[in-house]
Amino acid sequence: MMNIFSEIYGTYFHIAAKLLENAATDEKTVRETVLRDGFRDSVLFLPQKLLPGKESWGLLSWDNNGVLRRVTKNPPVTVLTKLQKMWLRTKLSDPRIRLFIDDDVLSRLNQRLADVPPAYSPDSFRFIDRFSDHDDFADPIYIANFRTALSAVKKRSIVDIQYSSAPGKQLRGRFVLLKMEYSPKNDKFRAYGCMLRNDRIRKSVVLNIGRIVSISDTGRVFRTPFSVDEFLSIRKCSSPAVVRVTPERNGVERFMLEFASYEKHTVRDLDSGEYTVELWYDSQDETELLIRLLSFGPVIEILGPEHLRKQARERIVRQFRMLERDDT
Amino acid sequence: MAGFSELIRNFNKTRDYVRDFFIYGCKIRSDFDRKSIRTYGDEKRRVESWLGDYMRYDDSVRGRSVSISVDSGHIPENPLYNAYRCKSFTDNDIRLHFFIIDILCDYKLRPLREIVDELNSQYGMLFDEQTVRNKLREYTDEGIVIAVKQGKTLYYSLSRDTAGDFMREFCGLDDAVKFFSETQNFGIVGNTILRYAGISNDLFFIKHNYIIHTLEDILLPDILSAITQKRWLAFTSVSGSSDTPNEKGQVVPMQILVSVQTGRRYLAAYIPAIRKLISFRLDHIRSVKIGGVCEEFDDFKAAYDHNISRCFGVSFGMRRNSDSVDPIRITFFVDEVNEPFILERLEREKRCGSLENSGDHLYTITADVFDPNEIMQWAKSFIGRIVRIEGGNENVRKRFYSDINKMYELYGGDDDEHIQ
Repeated sequence: MMNIFSEIYGTYFHIAAKLLENAATDEKTVRETVLRDGFRDSVLFLPQKLLPGKESWGLLSWDNNGVLRRVTKNPPVTVLTKLQKMWLRTKLSDPRIRLFIDDDVLSRLNQRLADVPPAYSPDSFRFIDRFSDHDDFADPIYIANFRTALSAVKKRSIVDIQYSSAPGKQLRGRFVLLKMEYSPKNDKFRAYGCMLRNDRIRKSVVLNIGRIVSISDTGRVFRTPFSVDEFLSIRKCSSPAVVRVTPERNGVERFMLEFASYEKHTVRDLDSGEYTVELWYDSQDETELLIRLLSFGPVIEILGPEHLRKQARERIVRQFRMLERDDT
Repeated sequence: MAGFSELIRNFNKTRDYVRDFFIYGCKIRSDFDRKSIRTYGDEKRRVESWLGDYMRYDDSVRGRSVSISVDSGHIPENPLYNAYRCKSFTDNDIRLHFFIIDILCDYKLRPLREIVDELNSQYGMLFDEQTVRNKLREYTDEGIVIAVKQGKTLYYSLSRDTAGDFMREFCGLDDAVKFFSETQNFGIVGNTILRYAGISNDLFFIKHNYIIHTLEDILLPDILSAITQKRWLAFTSVSGSSDTPNEKGQVVPMQILVSVQTGRRYLAAYIPAIRKLISFRLDHIRSVKIGGVCEEFDDFKAAYDHNISRCFGVSFGMRRNSDSVDPIRITFFVDEVNEPFILERLEREKRCGSLENSGDHLYTITADVFDPNEIMQWAKSFIGRIVRIEGGNENVRKRFYSDINKMYELYGGDDDEHIQ
């Protein structure tokens, strides 16, 4: 049925297609393209396949003037495969598609793809532990706010935002938005950005799109160089969480899998089978990290940093006393 | 390392290695004793090539360990998509790909003979008719080439649907594909569309991003086909501690269960031979094979739909009859005025049950679940607030009390020497 693992989507085909875009090229461009778009070692294997010679695929040849030319007449056409169209067709029934595409365009796209079946039915999947208070992707206000935020990310324009920071609490301010973030756990979109004062960065923020009351583009572009990497480094914890993980109850595998999405450094104690893991995290997400760690019970121990261990201990002591009281 | 190739024929072998490197965080060569040193070296070199920026090396007395460390919430593209980009092929595969597309890009209909003649006259290479026919048949199946029968002859032309045209014609599609290409379930396919269109995701990050799932997507097409077509499914899998695949016999596939918090995905299936619903981890499944149509599929599915509503996670427990489940009642302390966010958390995270105010600052969740064990990991994320646990079963309650005692000791009770 669907063949995802096919050479037509492969890196070698991709590089060859790029080089066949132009009628003429040169050896340097071939090597540079392989270096840029290939795997780390492709430069050892691919140039001799692309350039004329004994091992060549014969896609390029030297002309009488010593110019390297493609043997094809036309630039390669990248035809969408049935698999790609089936995937697109599936996504058209996803409620989030309306965040990007207007209804009339969606209707035309549906017609265009009417002769291919969806790749799968969304009902074939069940998200067992997704939170129930997800964003309302069908809400016209949400869609409008999302689009303004997305456009601001693309243009780096300065936006005025009125934001509901907590029930009954609103803040208003001027922001530059850097990136959109989606969480499958929360089924929510957020925007990374900075609050501005007098066009200067005051603080980094992460805004829930669902909590934006109003957003308008000022039409002015934020020109101060400030990268997403800088944003992330500001928010990164000053020292990593250090966690000891024991093999009890399959703890190592469970822990490693659950925390696979974190930047981490792992050291294994060969005698005990225990792992010591350093996890780097967004300091704003510290509570989320703490409760996830606690949910592993005694299978893991938070060794540091001190303030994180202290928070864990306070909760555990409170819990211990609560059960003591209930027992009596 | 003579004979090394960046390209692979067998996806599953690479899948094992990447998973081990990625999940366990640290592995040394001797941990991979099931494979030859040569295989280990080749696989390691491939993984390093794809994930160079994310590899970490640590030297210890036992040897150099290799691990992968990706802050996957802050990457524009899943680096493991590279695993799909290294399928091996023959020299003729790549030649015919570009030559056939070159011939057909005027969108005229041509019979096989004419295509073979053009191939042989224009590109300085000879291809036999059977090879070209096979490639055209393959590309017709892929949707790249359109085949039309006129009389007794098949005529071929190129599909007019190009990635670039789609992006230009349908406003907003580029951003949508950027987003969906990094989300679950075949995001890799969206990524191939972006590459075809010459664009990449520069807008979205995915939080709680389990990028390893993409490696399991290789299994999903057959599983999903079996579900859609109401067929039996045979598969082999390994258990966590063994690398030898076990036959699992015939199952009736029901649904793919996705945990967005633990990083696991499962195949939920019914096994008529033992009259049980069981969830199998996708990352443990090695191969699947679609079987014949299951006549009783709808009956099994109805039973599954009834039962799944009582799964807190993926466990159907040991009971055959859902009516024998004891509801578990967990009571939490919540200061509604100063901590409204705790109530919000309980409300949005509860599953299979109800939340009620059961006293002053007390809120009780009653959950009617097959396997009370599953709810306890979640409950422990509320440590410091759990006033009492009732129902479920005794072992679960005992284990919770014992866990809290152990944690109390582990963290030094009231006097933790770690805290200055």
